Amino acid sequence: MARPKLQSQFAHSPVLRYGLAVASFAIALGLALLAQRYGFHNVEVPLFLFGVAVTAWYAGPKPAALAVVLSIVFFDYFFTEPRYTFYVTSSDIPYLIVFISFALLVAWFSAVRRRVEGELRQARDDLQIEVVERTQQASLLNLTHDSIFVRNMDFVITFWNLGAQELYGWTAEDAVGKHSQELLQTAFPAPLEDIHEELLRTGRWEGELKRTTADGMPVVVAARWALRRDEQERPAAILETSNDITERKRREQEIESLNLELAKRSMELESINKELEAFAYSISHDLRAPLRHMAGFTELLQKKVASVVDEKSNRYIAMILDSTKRMGNLIDDLLAFSRIGRAETQKTLFSLTQLVREALTEVRQDTEGRNIAWKIGALPDFYGDRSMLRLVLVNLISNGIKFTRTRPQAEIEIGCADGNTDDLVVFVRDNGVGFDMKYVNKLFGVFQRLHQSDEFEGTGIGLATVQRIIHRHGGKVWAEGAVDSGATFYFSAPKPRGHLWKP
Amino acid sequence: METMNKLGRILLVEDDPKDVELTLTALEEYNLANEVIVARDGEEALDYLYSRGKFKTRSSDNPAVMLLDLKLPKVDGLEVLKQIKSDEKRRMIPVVVLTSSKEEKDMVASYKLGVNAYVVKPVDFHEFVNAIKELGAFWAVINEPPPGSVRK
Repeated sequence: MARPKLQSQFAHSPVLRYGLAVASFAIALGLALLAQRYGFHNVEVPLFLFGVAVTAWYAGPKPAALAVVLSIVFFDYFFTEPRYTFYVTSSDIPYLIVFISFALLVAWFSAVRRRVEGELRQARDDLQIEVVERTQQASLLNLTHDSIFVRNMDFVITFWNLGAQELYGWTAEDAVGKHSQELLQTAFPAPLEDIHEELLRTGRWEGELKRTTADGMPVVVAARWALRRDEQERPAAILETSNDITERKRREQEIESLNLELAKRSMELESINKELEAFAYSISHDLRAPLRHMAGFTELLQKKVASVVDEKSNRYIAMILDSTKRMGNLIDDLLAFSRIGRAETQKTLFSLTQLVREALTEVRQDTEGRNIAWKIGALPDFYGDRSMLRLVLVNLISNGIKFTRTRPQAEIEIGCADGNTDDLVVFVRDNGVGFDMKYVNKLFGVFQRLHQSDEFEGTGIGLATVQRIIHRHGGKVWAEGAVDSGATFYFSAPKPRGHLWKP
Repeated sequence: METMNKLGRILLVEDDPKDVELTLTALEEYNLANEVIVARDGEEALDYLYSRGKFKTRSSDNPAVMLLDLKLPKVDGLEVLKQIKSDEKRRMIPVVVLTSSKEEKDMVASYKLGVNAYVVKPVDFHEFVNAIKELGAFWAVINEPPPGSVRK
């Protein structure tokens, strides 16, 4: 870089340039005089011309002109007749012409050289700038997580960024120059001809590709291709940007297979449900029929023989009848229970107060001859299946009536407890025989009973039905109680939305 | 003959002989059993109604009421119901479904087909007898059957 520096200094400093002209001239003059003194003749012209040439070469045309003028003047003074005068004779003219033509020739050479040099410098500078820019761009491309590579139309990789290295495992050194299809073992979603056809037509293509990494692991990538054309509009290269979607694909497949599994399960469930339905239907029809026959014929028998058989036989007959009746109730309750699981809920907004009143009417028969103090609190509106909720209330109130039977003064309270902001809580409390809290988990199970059947009759399905209905409404059921100290049954349900909660 | 003694003929369609016997016993208590024709399956019921098969020789009168079980061999109750309710000549026959099934879908299907009443046989014999008696009394005695029905 020293030469350009020197030249640029000459180029920019007139003092140096003209100084060089004067110095070259002075040295040439000195050498010419010295040569003359020692008897060497006719060397002055080449010496002066050499000085002009050096000036023209290094300092440009104007200092060279100065050197030419100085050389002519002092040549005339020292070396042409008459000597030591500035007088110009006709014999000096050829020297004059030689000097000027030589100076012009050298200046022209110099100018050409300078121009070429300048162009070269410019080209080098441009190249340097481009190199810097390219390097910056390439390092920018290395910043992205996407894999980017360029291949020419013969599939030879010409650029390979860091993202591609991370994704496929090969470094740029490994990959550049390789055949992209062979390196990556790409499997295309469509025939390659079709893909290229689209690429050539539209200049771009997008799709999912299956490839193999340097480790031999399969990857799925979402690839986007862009076609680059050269100046003659011929396809030159394909730039591919891609990102790894293997994990996403895997999850998609997982979800798909889960969905399939789910669909299979739900079909299984549906068929099981259908079977259950058929089973319930068959219970309803086929079990009730023989039961009805047993009851019917036993009763006919009772009518016929009651007066002729002894008391014990009559009691046996009565017990058979009682059992058939109980079994009938069991079947009916079970059917109702199974129907709740299958039936669609038809939800409306209704007044719980009104529904409690209806439930009380329904159980009136059980309260005959009883002394019950009813305490009905303020109850909110309820959003749910009205007939199912009535079944809940009837069941809970019937239980209250049943288990307070031993109390001379029964108390049954129905009210609304403080729930949270989303749920409302309704309770039915009695002062009956209660239950042991350690069996509380058994209360809501099917056929679970905490009392012997000669104490308190029942099928053990009522509370299970209650629980099933409340669960279907998105609520919960629970109970509190103690032996001989009454029981409280609670159920919660989401508060009606879009309606003001009215206590 | 007085009006009240004019008993309608009852067509009982029931496959279970025990049910038949219990039903007849119940009807007997009201002296309604004499004019009961028993069909043991759906096909027999249709044969009776259309006077074919073993009922070829009977007159073509319609019964005053048909007590129809749903679960029947060969042709089930709903099919029988469907056939006669879509037949111009027989659609007026009052049909009472008398079944063990409390299934809502049976009930809905029966009403959709135009059944006149739907009775679930009570397990309790008293209730059963009462139900049959009331049915018999209503349809065979009180109700005025459509023209073309048999009156004794």
